[in-house]
Amino acid sequence: MALSPRVATPSSEFRHTMQNLLSAYFPIAVFIVIAAGVSAAMLGGSLLAGRQKPYAEKNSAYECGFDAFDDARRRFDVRFYLVAILFIIFDLEVAFLFPWAISLGRIGLFGFWSMLGFLGVLTVGFIYEWRKGALDWE
Amino acid sequence: MTVPFNWSLALPEIVLSVCGLLILVIGVFQRKNASGLLCTGLAVAAFVATAVLVLGAPSGVGYRGTFVSDDFARFAKLLALTGAALSVILSLDYNGRQKVDRFEFPVLILFSTVGTMLMASSENLMTLYVGLELQSLAIYILCAFARDEVTSSEAGLKYFVLGSLASGLLLYGISLVYGFAGTMEYGGLRAALSDNAPVPAGLVIGIVFVFVGLAFKLSAAPFHMWTPDVYQGAPTSVTAFMAGAPKVAAFALLLRIMAGPFGHLAPQWQMLVELVAICTMILGALAAIPQTNIKRLMAYSSIGHMGYAMIGVAVGTEAGVRGTLVYLATYLFMTVGVFACIMAMRRNGRPLDRISDLSGLSRTHPLLALTMGIFMFSMAGVPPFSGFFGKLMVFAAAVQSGLWTLAVIGVVTSMIGLYYYWRVVKVMYFDAPEPAFDRGARPVGAVAGAMGLVTALFLLVLGPVTGAAQAAAAVLFR
Amino acid sequence: MITQITFYLFATILVLCAGMVVSARNPVHAVLFLILGFFNAAGLFLIAGAEFLAMILVIVYVGAVAVLFLFVVMMLDVNFNQLREGLQRYAPVGAAIGVALLAELIFTVGRLKLVPGVQEPTLPGPQISNTEALGRLIYTDYVLLFQACGLVLLVAMIGAIVLTLRDRPSARRQNISLQHARLPADTMEMMQLEVGAGTDALGGFIRPRDGYGATAEPIDARALPARRSDEKLGA
Repeated sequence: MALSPRVATPSSEFRHTMQNLLSAYFPIAVFIVIAAGVSAAMLGGSLLAGRQKPYAEKNSAYECGFDAFDDARRRFDVRFYLVAILFIIFDLEVAFLFPWAISLGRIGLFGFWSMLGFLGVLTVGFIYEWRKGALDWE
Repeated sequence: MTVPFNWSLALPEIVLSVCGLLILVIGVFQRKNASGLLCTGLAVAAFVATAVLVLGAPSGVGYRGTFVSDDFARFAKLLALTGAALSVILSLDYNGRQKVDRFEFPVLILFSTVGTMLMASSENLMTLYVGLELQSLAIYILCAFARDEVTSSEAGLKYFVLGSLASGLLLYGISLVYGFAGTMEYGGLRAALSDNAPVPAGLVIGIVFVFVGLAFKLSAAPFHMWTPDVYQGAPTSVTAFMAGAPKVAAFALLLRIMAGPFGHLAPQWQMLVELVAICTMILGALAAIPQTNIKRLMAYSSIGHMGYAMIGVAVGTEAGVRGTLVYLATYLFMTVGVFACIMAMRRNGRPLDRISDLSGLSRTHPLLALTMGIFMFSMAGVPPFSGFFGKLMVFAAAVQSGLWTLAVIGVVTSMIGLYYYWRVVKVMYFDAPEPAFDRGARPVGAVAGAMGLVTALFLLVLGPVTGAAQAAAAVLFR
Repeated sequence: MITQITFYLFATILVLCAGMVVSARNPVHAVLFLILGFFNAAGLFLIAGAEFLAMILVIVYVGAVAVLFLFVVMMLDVNFNQLREGLQRYAPVGAAIGVALLAELIFTVGRLKLVPGVQEPTLPGPQISNTEALGRLIYTDYVLLFQACGLVLLVAMIGAIVLTLRDRPSARRQNISLQHARLPADTMEMMQLEVGAGTDALGGFIRPRDGYGATAEPIDARALPARRSDEKLGA
């Protein structure tokens, strides 16, 4: 099959590693199946067991007897965006820390300082956003 | 682990980055309403210091084959640093009057230049990509820098969306190349592709994608659509920057990978590059004619120039590369000069950008009109101005390699170009004068004048520039 | 066998999700399908042996990028039906590009042949995890690119702040030194009140004597109550 996940014929060693890798995720697969089953049972159960008699008034939004003023989904302040994007940036920074922490024993002092340089650059960014007041809300 | 690491090769980049970080910290600890003067001055000083370091940098490959320092990289880096320093100087007055003189401006230009230098020194497709992203990301932000103006935000958004698309294409191409050739280092690629064995189709497709991604950054037709809108919408100080240094870097990259690792595959891609060059030259010439806005006109003019410079890539010989490099050097100085003149166009505190606003400039501001006229004639390729020599060398290289079509189309489109450049000169010298512009700032005038002198008297420095370009080109064909 | 089945399962859901992202009427649903798509892509990475990438996909894309997308979708006052109007017109062009890309992909994979002399990449071996293998390279061999990535993140940070952060006149920021410098006499006032009498009779509290301005920037007193009453009406 042309579109198989691996294009070249894998060595037996590779296949062996793959089997190990996937079997390590077996508990997670079981977990996902159970979670999916439970949530499907909850939603499906209420769908089957409850009496469904919808009509227009019942489905409309109830707002203290008034007609609805506007859409229930309110627009967010743009400041949420700033917080979210700063979070992503630091999230990515943290992502770089995982392989570093694992391989620190092998990469030695050079690897250590290399990461400190990286963190230093982002610390400058942190100082910048702190002083700019990007972390203050009101 | 046997290859030496060669720390010191990237010293200019490291110094420039550290300067950028320092300027950022200094800027943020300033008073709230401090002008951008201090940070701008520091940025210019950093550019000068880096340029000195670049001049003295040793040659060689370092960082485990991700970075190279050679004459070619030095040539491109010096051009990029010059362009960045000049546009930072220009931006000071313009940003101040437009009320966007925040200290982040020089810092972003500085980091963009770090990306530019990484691109010029790339010895690995990953370095290429990271450098390109660093450069582009800073420019996207700069385009939207005047965030309270709709046009500026629109320019930033447009450039960002289309630029991301181009980056995606580039990455797709890089992954195809890696998948088929098994390496991303230029040296390894060159060795792998030098055998006469048949080349896998996937690899060729990958190269095409890489080329398309870079052609987009160069605004070569048919990937030019963003250029006029972004040039017009972005603050003029940003346009002055992005029309110069980044284009030079993208070209340096294109030359390096097309002549270097993919050089043996020239028969496969030469046709495509020729086609793109022809399209770009024709489009740049024809689409510029109906323009009434000088910034849009310059956008189409820069598209056309990219087409001429691409002839050197299509030729793929040492003479072609040398021609392109000389062309880029002349283009950089002309562009910065023209945008300095455009920044001087301001009446009652409002910036102007229509061609008709230049009416009768020769009577109200004779010196400005003269400088602008020099740039226009130079861009059209009229001797003895600098633009002529660039065109001459590129066309000569095409003729030497027997690519007559390219040379002929180039000459014809230059003729068409002369028409619309002449129109600007006509408006300045023969139309009834409009009221005078506001008093210009001294740095803008100085930059415009200096660039005018370089353009007019390029003949005097032709020897050294050509020599440097020759040395740079020779590196790629060793 | 199991690998094949999981691959096709993940791939099918991924393609379906991608279709739903484009075609969903409600933009929030589109983002939710995107999240499901990310999960399935992570599964594909797992099958391909790229454990680290799979985890990063979940942490960064599902954890952060999708949240950002949700914010953006809710923040923008965009009429998505209006955006969709051009769909009919642009669909042929988009489809053509898609077909061209697909054709190229099939063409590429169909005659799969590496450049002669290229060795298959070797796995680090079963005793070294994927993440560790990456870690051994990123911070030493590719240190230059690693630091450049740091700069890219920094530029992104500057960009986000430059483009969206505004000084709000209503913002009340903590001023710690002023808080420390406050004296009880500035902030407290002792009053002797008769039984049943209110403070109004004595001229009312004068606290805070220095106003809120001493410890924080003043709030626009007129704007605030008006907004409150609006909200009450709306609730």
